[in-house]
Parts: sequence; C-alpha cells; structure tokens
Amino acid sequence: MRWSLVLVLLWLVAALPHAIEAQSIPYERPRDRAPQQKDIGGGYVTPPVQKPLPRAAWLEILDTALLAGAMGLSVWLVVRRRSRRGVAALAVASVAYFGFYREGCICPIGSIQNVAVALVDAHARIPILVIATFFLPLLVAVFYGRAFCGGVCALGALQELVVLRPVQVPRRLDRALGWLKYVYLLAAIWWAVQPLAKRDFIICRFDPFVGFFRRTGFAHMFAIGGALLVIGMFVGRPYCRYLCPYGGLLSWCARLANRGVTITPDKELDCGLCAGACPYGAIDQMRAVRKNCLYCARCYAACPREGPLAQGKLIQVEAAE
Amino acid sequence: MSKDVSRRKALGRMATAAGMGGAALYLVKKAQGQIVWQIDSAKCLNSRLGEVGVKACDLCLKECVVTRSAVRAVNHCSGCGRCNICPAYFNVTSAVNREGLPSEKLCPRDAIARKPIGAIDPGDPANNFYEYIIDETKCDGCGKCAMACKEPAGLGSIVLKVRHDLCVNCNKCAISTSCPKDAFFQGPIPRAVLEQQEQSPA
Repeated sequence: MRWSLVLVLLWLVAALPHAIEAQSIPYERPRDRAPQQKDIGGGYVTPPVQKPLPRAAWLEILDTALLAGAMGLSVWLVVRRRSRRGVAALAVASVAYFGFYREGCICPIGSIQNVAVALVDAHARIPILVIATFFLPLLVAVFYGRAFCGGVCALGALQELVVLRPVQVPRRLDRALGWLKYVYLLAAIWWAVQPLAKRDFIICRFDPFVGFFRRTGFAHMFAIGGALLVIGMFVGRPYCRYLCPYGGLLSWCARLANRGVTITPDKELDCGLCAGACPYGAIDQMRAVRKNCLYCARCYAACPREGPLAQGKLIQVEAAE
Repeated sequence: MSKDVSRRKALGRMATAAGMGGAALYLVKKAQGQIVWQIDSAKCLNSRLGEVGVKACDLCLKECVVTRSAVRAVNHCSGCGRCNICPAYFNVTSAVNREGLPSEKLCPRDAIARKPIGAIDPGDPANNFYEYIIDETKCDGCGKCAMACKEPAGLGSIVLKVRHDLCVNCNKCAISTSCPKDAFFQGPIPRAVLEQQEQSPA
C-alpha cells in the first residue's frame, strides 16, 4: 500500500516536466489563416475597421477659447455694463453649452485633481486643455475676482438659475461653513496624489450636477445634486460657497484682485439695498467682498442709481410752496 | 485703501501669476494631446487567449456611466475567418434548421449582419465566405460575440473597443475599477490609429 503511494508520487514527479513543457508551448492565434481579399475573390474589398476618435483637436481649442471668452464676457457684463439680465443670459448659455452639451467637462473644479496628479506623479500627463481649464479662471480671478463663478461655471450657473427666495445666512455661520471648502480641497488633493492603485477622484465621485448634465450617473450624485438645488432655492448657491474646492482656490486669488465688483459711495449710494439683495452674503458694510463675490450683478440691479435714476425715470417731486 | 495694502496686493498678484505660470509651463512641457480610456484586447477576459468555456464578461456594459455603455464590439475583418457557421453570429448550441444552420443568433440585440461575399465556388455553392459587420448603433458591448470568436472555432477577430466619441473620459472610469483583468488603461491614442483614420475617412 505504502509502496504504491510512493510509486504514484514518483510518477507524478517524473511527469511534471512534461506537463510544464505542454503549458509553455506558445499558442498563437492563426491570424494568417484568415482569408484575405485575394482568397475571397469576386472583387471583394475588406471594409476598414471603424475607429471613432474623440473630439478633434480644434474643438478642444474652441472650448478653451469659449471658456476664456465667456469669462471676458462675464467681466464686461458685470463690471462695465452692470447688467443682471446679461449675466443671467450668460448663465443660461453656459448651462446649455458647458453643462448639457459638453456634459459638465470643461470642469476646472475636477481639474484640480488632474493638475495635482500631474505635478506629483512623474509619469502622469494631462492634456493642454485641462491645464488651460485649470489656470485661466485663476488668472482672471487674480485681476478681476471670481468672474468664472458668475455665469461661466456650469455648476454655478445651474444654481444661479434656481435662486428663488434667498435668505441671509448669519455671518458667523456663513464663515464657519466656508471653511468646509478648504477641507474638501485638501481631501481632494490628498486622495488624488495617492499611488495609482489607491488614487481616487472624490470631486468627480461626488460631483452634484454632472449626473443631470449627462442624464445618467450614480444615485448618490442625483441625491446630492437634488438636495443642493432644493437648498439652493433658499440659500444662494450652497455648493459654490461652502463646498466647491475650486472656489477655495479662486477666493485666495480674488483677495488680490484690484478691478472686480466694487460698490462705492460716489458711483452708488450708501443705502445698503445691495447688501439685502446679495444672496451670497458677499457685501460687508456696504462694500463688496471680492473673495466671496460670485459675479451675479444682483447688487447693481438693486441699486437705485443703476435702475430708475440712470434711466431718468425718477418722478420729480415739486416742492410745496 | 492705504498705499501699503495696495502695494502688497500688487506684489501678491505678480507672485501668484508667476507661480501659476511656472506650474503651467512645467505641465505643458510634459503634456500630451488627447488622453483616452482604452481596452487592452490581450488582457480583456472576452478576447484574451485561454479563456474558453467561461461566461462572457459584461462589466463594460453594466458599469459604464454612459447609457448603453461607451464600449462596442468591433470585428477586424482582415483577421476574420469569414466562417459559414460563425460562433459569434449563431448560437451554435441551438437546434439546426432546414438549411443546416443553427436556428438562433447569439447576439441579444441582433447587431451583427451576415452576408456572403466573394467568388462563388462552382463545385459547392454553399461553400462561401461570409462577412460579419457589427452595427455599432445596436451593439451595447455585452461581449458575448467577442467571447465566442475564439479558439478553436474563431480567430479572435471580434474584440471590445472603447468608442472614444461616446466615452466621456471620467477621471475614475467605473469600468476600469471593476475590470477583473485590468484591461482598461488610460493613455494617448496610438499614432497608428490616428493615421489609419486619416487614410480611410469613411
């Protein structure tokens, strides 16, 4: 009995090299056996393989140009024309193009992660479009404030359009919640610069509105997005003010701006109507706070000097004799 | 605003702009044109060698965030055996009909078209070559045909490919995270593909 076991084992050991040999025979698919045009005859021509390419390079340049152009328009409409209606139209156009047509990509918010990866990982490369998308709004913010947020950012513009009856958030609560976006920014960078296997893009994973733009997505995206839109009817643009990590970067840059939205006693009145009209709590002691100003031009729309006075519609009250 | 504050701000502006410019320059230097998600056919469970007799993997269809997936099956006709009874076209386990062909098709969406091609053999008219073209508007990338077009019957000419025009290039592709064979990768489009596209505008 024991001998037979040893014999079987010996046979197995002896057979092992053959088994390995059998496994290591290289197997190639007989591609050369496929009949070609000349074998088939009858004037047959092999059809080319369809290889749909991504968007053409010139369309990417167009997207970059549109982004830059839209920001220029945003600055012109708000700072020069002071036109609330113009900004609202720009917001609609941005939601349509950057949102629904481009499906939420051109997204400087998400590009934070790609830029972080490309700066840290020597092998990671990102397209020039992404680089431009990340830096252009910041560059504009350094000079003019958060012009990108107003009517250009699709996520912001979507929330801009649902502001229904905004309440003023108590200043201390507003400031405390504002810190959340820096936490989110650090967390997003932290997850993005992890080694490839552990890398995660949390901004994209919890993107609130891209699901609406793409008409598809994970359930939690729609839940977060829907909740933010409902809250956004009463608390102006909650994602932009309290969560948007790119908003954190923009407000750093906007602190340095010297030509953004200004409310002055000589061009406007020091009446304080604008502070009540600002849904984002960005007017402090009757002056616009550039790091919080989201370029919506509601302050100008509410200003008596811009409205009836500028149009010469004020009624002259005759002094009683 | 005092003069000191405005001077400090101007300095800050210049420093920030310079810093951003430097970072942007560094990134542009190592930038690449278009980076897209792709499938390595040699790794994909449905097309790789040796995976015979296993269920076709349909994670490309199930996981993709795009409706009906951005992945499609593609038949490379130059490598196709042009068989009469194609195991990717027919469900070869179904009953044989009067013409001696399997009665059922494999594709659940009937996306593959079959047509006889080339010169007709005068000795045996039934001995013909067939062309199999996949209709990309019907295909949803379930991978059944790619799995069936394998040794010993098939030559592996049907593989799954990412349709770059449908793919939205998510940073974290849902298919890539769930792919059991790590066949999804992100990289620049191979130059050969770009050139071939230019040569055949169709």
